[in-house]
Amino acid sequence: MPLGPVALEVEGVSVSYGKFIAVESVTLSVGVGECVAVIGPNGHGKSSMVTALAGLVRRGGVVRVFGQPLPAGSPGAAVRAGLVLVPERRHLYPELTTRDNIMLGSYSRTRRISARSAWEDVSGVLDMFPELARLLDQKAGTLSGGQQQMVALARAMAARPRVLLLDEPCLGLAEAVARRVYDWLGEMTKTDMTILLVEENPVHALLVADRAVRMYKGLVEQPGVASHE
Amino acid sequence: MSEFLNLLAAGLTSGAIYGIFGACLAVWFRVCNVLNLAVGDFAMFGAIGTAWLVQTAGLPFIVGIIVVLVGVGLTAWLFDWVVLHTAFDRGAGAHGIVSVFFYTFGLSLILEGVARAMFGTNVYGAPSIWSGPALHVLDFHVQRAGVLVIGLAIVSGLILWAYLRFTVSGRAASACGESVLGSRIVGIDSAKFRRRIFIMTAVLAALFGVVESPITGYTYMSGPTLSLIGVVAAGFAAFRKPGRAVAAGLVIGVAEAMLGGYVSTSYNDVLLYAILFAIIIFRPEVLGLGPEPA
Repeated sequence: MPLGPVALEVEGVSVSYGKFIAVESVTLSVGVGECVAVIGPNGHGKSSMVTALAGLVRRGGVVRVFGQPLPAGSPGAAVRAGLVLVPERRHLYPELTTRDNIMLGSYSRTRRISARSAWEDVSGVLDMFPELARLLDQKAGTLSGGQQQMVALARAMAARPRVLLLDEPCLGLAEAVARRVYDWLGEMTKTDMTILLVEENPVHALLVADRAVRMYKGLVEQPGVASHE
Repeated sequence: MSEFLNLLAAGLTSGAIYGIFGACLAVWFRVCNVLNLAVGDFAMFGAIGTAWLVQTAGLPFIVGIIVVLVGVGLTAWLFDWVVLHTAFDRGAGAHGIVSVFFYTFGLSLILEGVARAMFGTNVYGAPSIWSGPALHVLDFHVQRAGVLVIGLAIVSGLILWAYLRFTVSGRAASACGESVLGSRIVGIDSAKFRRRIFIMTAVLAALFGVVESPITGYTYMSGPTLSLIGVVAAGFAAFRKPGRAVAAGLVIGVAEAMLGGYVSTSYNDVLLYAILFAIIIFRPEVLGLGPEPA
């Protein structure tokens, strides 16, 4: 349990696909500025849980962001509340440019303005990802895996998240690229950003997480405190 | 010179027909990756419905147009709600390319059957919005309805191009076709974009039918032909670029008219498809059809 004020509260969240229960009554709290890792083997409900928190799949239970309850199955409401997901395998828009991919992260607040004004609103995220500046007019589908992951993170940051959900951010990336992603995450943990990180690899996760929970067969099994050593 | 200008006028008019249906197909395909094979049937309903309401039911012309456009819009909304919403948003039914093809193909068949039952097999033409003798500028002769057809195609193409290129909403519409999940995680309602653009293109096609029908006349069977030429024009625009579809349609129309006027009308379709196949095979990048990204 976090010691200070709570940013994300998850109470009794369940996810089912037909008769198969993927997530079973998960309860979890993440404090403001805290980074919590959800670790565990593949196929035990980690991704189902974060996609449900982001409103992408139906769920039971209660989710609150800074005390505000989120309606189930409404990704737009989650984004407006500041809960933003970087999904597994990124899900970029391959035929759109890097610039458009990043800009659309701000869609919930810029949808009624011109594309040029929207870009001016979000272009500050390039300070966090300077290598993307030379790739802005390149189609996202032609970028390398590491560059695409940076675009996915930049798109999420364009939404100005208060709580960032990261689902396997290093899946399929070379070790050197994964290190860079985790360097960036390490920088984020020094800010007041709240992060819930899903990661199969506990070595990666414990590089940046303040504490970790393990999911097994749809249940949160055991809490733990990371040493950062 | 006179013959050339008149062929040019005829070509631009028929090219506008290619272009407008190509644009309607391309913009909706861009949003949801489904070809609207009923777009020509919406045009048919616009033309025949307006003609019937004005000439048989005795409604004023402007009222007839409004009633028909509202009716077409409601029909499109109902189809989206009953079929597309159920299939795509609620996850029911099959989603393979053949199954999805039959959604709009089925709508086309239904609209054709309803039109036959309601209006019979007669040829209908709505009254001309801009009536009067053909316009003459030097040796250039063009019907007033033709001017409206060309104007509507160009204005529609420009508006759709500007919407997709300069607005956040237009980029969001494109994102829906690229990745439904990717669009949802940033708060884009892909179902809303699919529904709105389907209704908008249905109403645009119906309006085009009203404007164009004084030139060609429509029967209940006109829809599939119009949809098919729209597919060809959209093919020249990679099925995703409505502005380019209008431009391509106009070029195709002029090329066909010139070929028909100076060589033979027998070769029009051969030329059209030969060019399309050649581009797809040898220069796919011209259509924006590059290799699949890694």
